[in-house]
Amino acid sequence: MHLCRSVLFVAAFLASTTAVMADEAAAGFQDQILAGDMSWDDVLAQARVDGEVQFFYWGGDDNLNVWMDSVVAPAMAELGISLVANRITGTKDAVDLVIADAASGRTIGEGSVDAIWLNGENFYTLKQQDLLFGSFAQLLPNAANFEWDEADPRSQLNLRDFGTPTDGAEMPWSGEQYVCSANRAVLPVEQTPRTFEDLQAYLEVNPGKFAYIKPPHYLGNTFVQQVLYAFNPDGTGATPFQRSIEGLGAAELARLAAPGFEYLKDIEPLLLGGPQGAVRYPEDAAAAEGLFRNSEIHINCGFGLYAVATKRADGSYPQTAEEIIFPAGNMIKNKNYLAIPANAPNPAAALVFANYMSSVEAQVTKLDLVGYPAGIDPWKLDPADAAALEAAAPAHYGVTQDELDDNIAPDTNASLVEVIEATWLEYIERGSSLPLEEIVANAVANLAP
Amino acid sequence: MPSPIWRRRPTLQRQQVLGLLPLGVVMIVLFGGALALALLQSLGFAPWLGINSFPDVSYFIALWGGASFWWSLWFTLYYSLAATVIALVLAILLALGLTRAFPGRAVFGSLYKLPLVVPYAVGIALAVIMMGNGGVLSRLAFALGWIDDPAQFPLLLTTNAGWGVIAVYVWKQLPFMALAIHAVLISAGREQAEAAAVLGANRRQIFREITWPQIVPGIVSSTLICFAFNMGAFEAPFILGGGFPDTLPVMAWRYFNDADYTLQLQGMAVVVSIGLVAGMMIAVYLATYRRYERSLGRV
Amino acid sequence: MARSQASPHAARFYVVLIVLFMVGPFVPLLVQSFAFQWDWPNLLPSEWWFTARDRARLPLGWDYVLSPYSRLGEAVLNTVLIGSATTLICLAICLPAARVLAREDFAGKRAFEFYLSMPLIVPEAAVGLALSVMFVRVGLAGSYAGIIIAHLIPTIPYMVRMLTAVYQGLDRGFEEQARVLGASRSQALRLVTIPMLLPGILAGCLFTFLVSTNLFLLTFLLGQGKIITLPTLLFAKISGGSLDASAAGIALVATLPGIVLLLISERYLNGLNQLTGR
Repeated sequence: MHLCRSVLFVAAFLASTTAVMADEAAAGFQDQILAGDMSWDDVLAQARVDGEVQFFYWGGDDNLNVWMDSVVAPAMAELGISLVANRITGTKDAVDLVIADAASGRTIGEGSVDAIWLNGENFYTLKQQDLLFGSFAQLLPNAANFEWDEADPRSQLNLRDFGTPTDGAEMPWSGEQYVCSANRAVLPVEQTPRTFEDLQAYLEVNPGKFAYIKPPHYLGNTFVQQVLYAFNPDGTGATPFQRSIEGLGAAELARLAAPGFEYLKDIEPLLLGGPQGAVRYPEDAAAAEGLFRNSEIHINCGFGLYAVATKRADGSYPQTAEEIIFPAGNMIKNKNYLAIPANAPNPAAALVFANYMSSVEAQVTKLDLVGYPAGIDPWKLDPADAAALEAAAPAHYGVTQDELDDNIAPDTNASLVEVIEATWLEYIERGSSLPLEEIVANAVANLAP
Repeated sequence: MPSPIWRRRPTLQRQQVLGLLPLGVVMIVLFGGALALALLQSLGFAPWLGINSFPDVSYFIALWGGASFWWSLWFTLYYSLAATVIALVLAILLALGLTRAFPGRAVFGSLYKLPLVVPYAVGIALAVIMMGNGGVLSRLAFALGWIDDPAQFPLLLTTNAGWGVIAVYVWKQLPFMALAIHAVLISAGREQAEAAAVLGANRRQIFREITWPQIVPGIVSSTLICFAFNMGAFEAPFILGGGFPDTLPVMAWRYFNDADYTLQLQGMAVVVSIGLVAGMMIAVYLATYRRYERSLGRV
Repeated sequence: MARSQASPHAARFYVVLIVLFMVGPFVPLLVQSFAFQWDWPNLLPSEWWFTARDRARLPLGWDYVLSPYSRLGEAVLNTVLIGSATTLICLAICLPAARVLAREDFAGKRAFEFYLSMPLIVPEAAVGLALSVMFVRVGLAGSYAGIIIAHLIPTIPYMVRMLTAVYQGLDRGFEEQARVLGASRSQALRLVTIPMLLPGILAGCLFTFLVSTNLFLLTFLLGQGKIITLPTLLFAKISGGSLDASAAGIALVATLPGIVLLLISERYLNGLNQLTGR
């Protein structure tokens, strides 16, 4: 008898968790806020009703984790919201979750993800699948901290994410720049490469002492993009790579990318493991840092304008590490964002969270403790706030902020990134013997619908 | 039709059926359901993704038609088999060694079981710290003057030779096998072996004629479990493997993780293929074992 | 006679060598967990954590591992909770079945027993990926219930085998005598059967708990990043194939539950030997 009852109980329990009811309150909230019919106080009140926010972010940085739990969570608690900060190994996991929820019919108020820290391809995916909450960014009070005026070229980082118009569906919250560091214990200042040709020359003398992270990891993609900019046969650098694949066309992309891919093929035997006959691409930033610490590589690249300062302090870089200007004129600078999915379970709390993350307070503590550059635009702040932001910035080693600013380049259009990444896998990793035009054409044809 | 009396099996009473029911339900709904779903999906049934072309073998045809699948299968089989065989040889020797009395046996006899009780990820962490080019073995090689740059140390991790993957499997599974074998040796006692020795049998004869038949059932069951586990293992080949071509479970996971959701069906075809290959290998193995048992007159 | 057996010296040498392979690598892991800077080719760190921690602004090494920021406490709690719940449910459904399997003969029994041991030979990846598709559909993905239910699959074969062996070793005559002497069914169960079964049940529970706490892929696929356990936390730390001080610390902590279980079993349960199903 008891067993009968327990079986029934389990069955009832399963049934109860599977029932998904349409959340009309959340849908109403979404309509009202997007129509501008709601005051911020109403949003704050609704957020307290939501009670929690399910935030998903890459949890691979201990410093960021500490900041999230010790600064952001208490600040959200003060607003009556409990921050559930889910640490994931790849941002794609959260995007997948949103898509899987949507595929099983969950709409606003019913999903499991309120906010995701993302940019580039992941935003592009959500936007393409129409799984974003809507245009919220300019409705938040802290929208005042950003340049939205399209006439100002500096607004581009807020309005376009890897070439995809953000349309207010994501809030910028952190900046980044691709910066390489040299270990001065093994690489003297006078041998420091500035261009990819310099790098190749250095590697001919010191074979195997460089590696870039393996695409499709975004850090690897970024390196490849910079190579394509530098070897653009028209000499127009990043410019043509701002266009979408529809506008550019596969043949034109193959023409523009061919010299860059030739270079990548040429240097492969000179990369880590190449001299031993088995080239190795590190899987992620932590792996590359390990190689850098052990002098297996002399130069380590990644996003991190202040990486040398923070990583020297926590022991993940050698104390002899310094920043370098490489590749000169092609150091990709971008922003990353907070997106709210269309099936967010707590949309009001998500908005309040995004607003907090773009506050001066959050930006100053983040810059100070984690060393992630500001996502807000200093010229839009009042002088005291701008000064606080400047004072919070960690030190540079070996280069100046002006030199870093003078060598920036924009990101590649997100629709091209997928093609470039597939081309790399086929042409470099699998060593395909097909002509590059064909590989690019196949990659374009295989794009996810 | 009445069955012959010697074939009649008692039917279970209600009480006894109830006893089996919860377990049966869980196993049939969950495990059976998962297997059925995997099979259905690999054959084109996924209406929740807007796909339903069941029955459709095109996913298997696409998969088996590509060279990369066969490479992946080769690496999966190679890691699984190499690790199982190495662990087995070391485990037999360990179990035999532990039957001898020597000072400190009790302590060592407990210590070797440690890997059995910790997650694979710990073993992977140990492999990273020991076997990497910047790892402890490489540093010892430097200290001994054998190398003067980490690049000169042989590549043990992230290579398709799979030393790291195999080392982790062996590390974790050796104690499992040794335990099974050692338990038999203890309960069987040494009388037979000693009697044979008195009668003039040498060590090889004793092992072949007495010890081996005693331990072989334990060997078969433990190697079976380890081999099947290795075929489906994910984390060690994911972290320590050589990248493309990945082992089959990693390949399946990558299909599942692709932005293109329709590739899930392809992933399920990979998963079902793993099951098919593992099932065939196990069936051959068990058939061979049964023939061996019959030759001993034990069946 | 002496020549017919391996000498104790050779046996001892080999056993020590194997134990060194099993346990030795934990030494550098321990060193790494206390290191601030430990670069190739140094055999010891050039700077230790305890000298660097004073100038660090954020918790470093063990300070991070043992702080709430590492989520290690949450992972330990989840691991123990999921392991305990899995063990109890597994026991509850396997005990009555084991009793029948040990004592009764019925049509299809061998097939049923074979089916029960199938999770041991069906790849975990197959079960995990299919279950994740299933659980997303029914809303069990990312929940404790989902993970616990999934953990039943790989633990059932062991639990059934061990409990069946226990029942086979128990003479049903004892129960019948108790009944004849006037004990009610529940009294017979409570006063006779359970005390006699207890050591075997404990061994089964211990092993089930162990299997559950070591499971990675099922938890990883069904937890959706929302529920972390020791194996998934450690996996996230080392998935790139590198190991820093806090990863080493977490790996060491992930070893502790196993050590405790091993000590218990060595002390009270004849050293996990039951797991071989004899």
